Amino acid sequence: MNLTFAHFPFLSAILLSCVTGLVLILLAPGDRKGLIKGIGLVFSGITLLLTVILFCSFDRTRGGLQFVEKIPWVKPFGISYFNAVDGFSLPLLLLTGIIFFTGVLTMWELEERVKEFLAFFFLLVTGVFGFFMSMDLFFIFVWYDVSLFPMYPLIAIWGGTRKEYGAMKLFLYLLAGSALILPTIIFLFVRSGLNTFDVVSLMQPGTFTSLDQRFAFILLYLGFGILAAVWPLHSWSPTGHVAAPTSVSMIHAGVLMKLGAFGILRLAIFLCPEGWQYWSQVMAVLAAIGIVYGVLVGLRQTDLKYVVAYSSVSHMGIVGLGLATVTVDGLNGAVFQMFAHGIMTALLFSSLGYIYDRTHTRMIPELGGMSRTMPVISIYFIVGSLAAMGVPGFGNFWAEIIVFIASFQTYPILGAIAVAALVLSALFMLRVVQKTFYGPPNAHFADLPDVRFGLGLPRLILVAMMILFGLFPWLMLDVIQTASIPLIGGLP
Amino acid sequence: MEWRLLMPELYFLLGIVLLFSLSMRARQDTGRIHRIAYFLAAIGVVVSLAAVGQKGTAFSGVYRVDLFSQAFKVMLALALFLSVCLCRDLNTIRERRHTEFYLLLMIATLGMMLLVSSVELLTLYVSLELTSYSLYVLVPLRRGYGVHVEAGIKYFLVGVTTSALMLFGLALLFGATRSTSLAELAKVMPGLIHSPMAFTGLLLALCGFFFKLAVFPFHVWAPGVYQGAANQVTAFIATASKVAAIGVIARIVSVTGGESIPLAKVLEGVAIASMTLGNLVAIVQKDLKRMLAYSAIAQGGYVLVGILSMSRGGYASAIFYALAYLIMIYTCFLVLVKVAGEGEDLKIVQLAGLHRRSPLLAMALMLGVFGLGGLPPTIGFTGKFLLFTAAMKSGHFFLVLVAMINVAVSLYYYALVVKAAYLLKPERELPPLSLSVSERMLATALILVLVGGGLFPQVLYNLATAAAKVLP
Repeated sequence: MNLTFAHFPFLSAILLSCVTGLVLILLAPGDRKGLIKGIGLVFSGITLLLTVILFCSFDRTRGGLQFVEKIPWVKPFGISYFNAVDGFSLPLLLLTGIIFFTGVLTMWELEERVKEFLAFFFLLVTGVFGFFMSMDLFFIFVWYDVSLFPMYPLIAIWGGTRKEYGAMKLFLYLLAGSALILPTIIFLFVRSGLNTFDVVSLMQPGTFTSLDQRFAFILLYLGFGILAAVWPLHSWSPTGHVAAPTSVSMIHAGVLMKLGAFGILRLAIFLCPEGWQYWSQVMAVLAAIGIVYGVLVGLRQTDLKYVVAYSSVSHMGIVGLGLATVTVDGLNGAVFQMFAHGIMTALLFSSLGYIYDRTHTRMIPELGGMSRTMPVISIYFIVGSLAAMGVPGFGNFWAEIIVFIASFQTYPILGAIAVAALVLSALFMLRVVQKTFYGPPNAHFADLPDVRFGLGLPRLILVAMMILFGLFPWLMLDVIQTASIPLIGGLP
Repeated sequence: MEWRLLMPELYFLLGIVLLFSLSMRARQDTGRIHRIAYFLAAIGVVVSLAAVGQKGTAFSGVYRVDLFSQAFKVMLALALFLSVCLCRDLNTIRERRHTEFYLLLMIATLGMMLLVSSVELLTLYVSLELTSYSLYVLVPLRRGYGVHVEAGIKYFLVGVTTSALMLFGLALLFGATRSTSLAELAKVMPGLIHSPMAFTGLLLALCGFFFKLAVFPFHVWAPGVYQGAANQVTAFIATASKVAAIGVIARIVSVTGGESIPLAKVLEGVAIASMTLGNLVAIVQKDLKRMLAYSAIAQGGYVLVGILSMSRGGYASAIFYALAYLIMIYTCFLVLVKVAGEGEDLKIVQLAGLHRRSPLLAMALMLGVFGLGGLPPTIGFTGKFLLFTAAMKSGHFFLVLVAMINVAVSLYYYALVVKAAYLLKPERELPPLSLSVSERMLATALILVLVGGGLFPQVLYNLATAAAKVLP
């Protein structure tokens, strides 16, 4: 199986599929919305298929970098088009594929400026795929910015609550992050003296002095930390989530925030492992504060979307806590959590989007008894919130428990605080579910139609994924381990 | 001396003679004059491209033709041609002045071409004045808008002041080194850089070109002149004049032999002040041309970041960025001239609805301003990346960090332009903009260069490196 696919350039094919979709969408006449949506569906479907095949044909026994594609790009600077997959990026590529496809399906009912929406959406996803698969610092930065700037029009044009404010805030926060990242990348490039942007060459031990690593690590951590919503750099995130249209919220919370965490992993941790060990306690404290803060602020919200948005902040804190442990288990849990949280939060935003499109409100007190008026979509949301609470049977349970076990060994107090906060959040989430979906139904919404099968499909896929990886967590952990064990083993 | 060495200059001189004789005629046909100027400028680009390979010196060593100067001459000819492309509806200049308008553009371009080839202080000064005087006349040529006279006077006063400073500096340099030739200076300057007289002389000599580049503290003319001059004239000043200034500053700074820490410190201060001031003030601008003027002040600062690293890579990146900047800012002016059909000043909000009126122009504008803001994959990002890498190699981490923070700040007002073009709804329904076939091709070509230059910088960068190699 693997041999037949060994020479097929999967990664470029994924990018090409996105770009082809983008070009076709741009060429299609703007008033033929059905055609444009069809193109979007077909190409996001092909992309999903490619990522699934990629996931299945990854050689779990060999590990390391696979599906390597390397072409020199700008020789005087040692920039190369270098794509590869390892155990860390593979789950995230699969995640992006799933969210991409379900995101396009979720926006099926969109009627306003469809062509531009899908064009920006495709551009964003191309950037995300490129970011996850690239192993060249220059390209990583280029993809990073390519995936960020479509967020601005996507939120500012098709968004909801305070959309222009939210869009601009998000845009400026994230670009402030890149203002830290680019100088650090250039700094590392110059300090290595190797005249290359190739991550694999730069991560050889002894390339950077200990001091350089500490310095570069903290800058990269703060730069990417903005996107990963590390407390106290998170404040763009809830505003942005709430302002964004449904599928953009999905890709935003589901994938984009992982870009930040993955950037910390791929750049900061890979290139500056000594800096990682040096700063790990700071990371742990910030992550724990993020977990507690997200839960406590979430407690006070009455807008469902804010509830989900703040839960994202605290769940991303779990990823940060996992990374801060500097252990194999911590890394496994963190990457698994990136995947599981991506799926779960996409499901929540997606179901919420459907309810909001019908009822035009997201206020918890105004909803109520939704499980009687719209039983099916309510189930999707409730399943998502159960996963968010960490109920066994979903992937999130495994991810969180692995991170907590790892963190109890390294940081017992912080770990205990984080777990306590999550128990609190579970109680709270139950109350939200109870108020929104049970109790007396709001008479205004009695006639609203429930979700049809076609529109429910994206949510169904997401639920299936959560359960699949909840029942068979080794499917994912086997993959991640191929990268995390060598990384920890290579630490000085 | 071979005449072929001076091919572009002679060609432009002939063009000037032709336009001069045409301007004597009593009756002027504006359409025909535009066509003549258009072809003259187009052939000018071809001639300067043909002269790229020339090498040698002329006039007993005061005039040097090398890859560096020829590359800049191509950019200047291109800037002239592109500016002339904007002049089809030149309705803010009196019709009987049209010939003089093109004549002055040509003279200014010729002056700049002489400028980038001069390797002797007095020749530099004379070429600079040739350029400046034509621009002093061009700025107040606009009619019907009250600000043009003020702009003209401001430009003139700041210009002559800096030119006096520069003369003083040249005198000091001559006093310290007993030579006016840059080649001689390059030999003795590294030893003399700690002498206050030579150092002050060098700084004051640079002032004349800081004025052209509109960097702090010689930036005060920029907003007024950008707004007051006719849109086409502003486009020319914003492109050609900047390109020439980058070339000359690189040439003069290179004579210190890359050893001068005090000069680097001064340039660092100028760069930081320009970037910060330009970007912060640009945020509050409502008028598109004023905003572009402040953004130009900031961009001047970015270029200095490359030059002050005083390495081959630094000069090469500055040359690369000169071309990138030429393309990006011109793209903005192309859109500005098309949207401001009557040649009026344009508020940023008046771009509203552009994405419906002309998707092509809206796309070009978005790529142009995002290029100025340094977002990949545009040529502007690659240019800034090269500049910052060069500075980092010379150990300026802090400077690069400040520059990147500035880039992030600048994206705010660039995003406002994109927002106006893509999001704002116009107050009343405006008709679609009709573009001629050549304008369509021009816009498409600009888009391709903006993205292509960003994704495949190797060819251009190799050229820039080769050009930077001839600097001492």
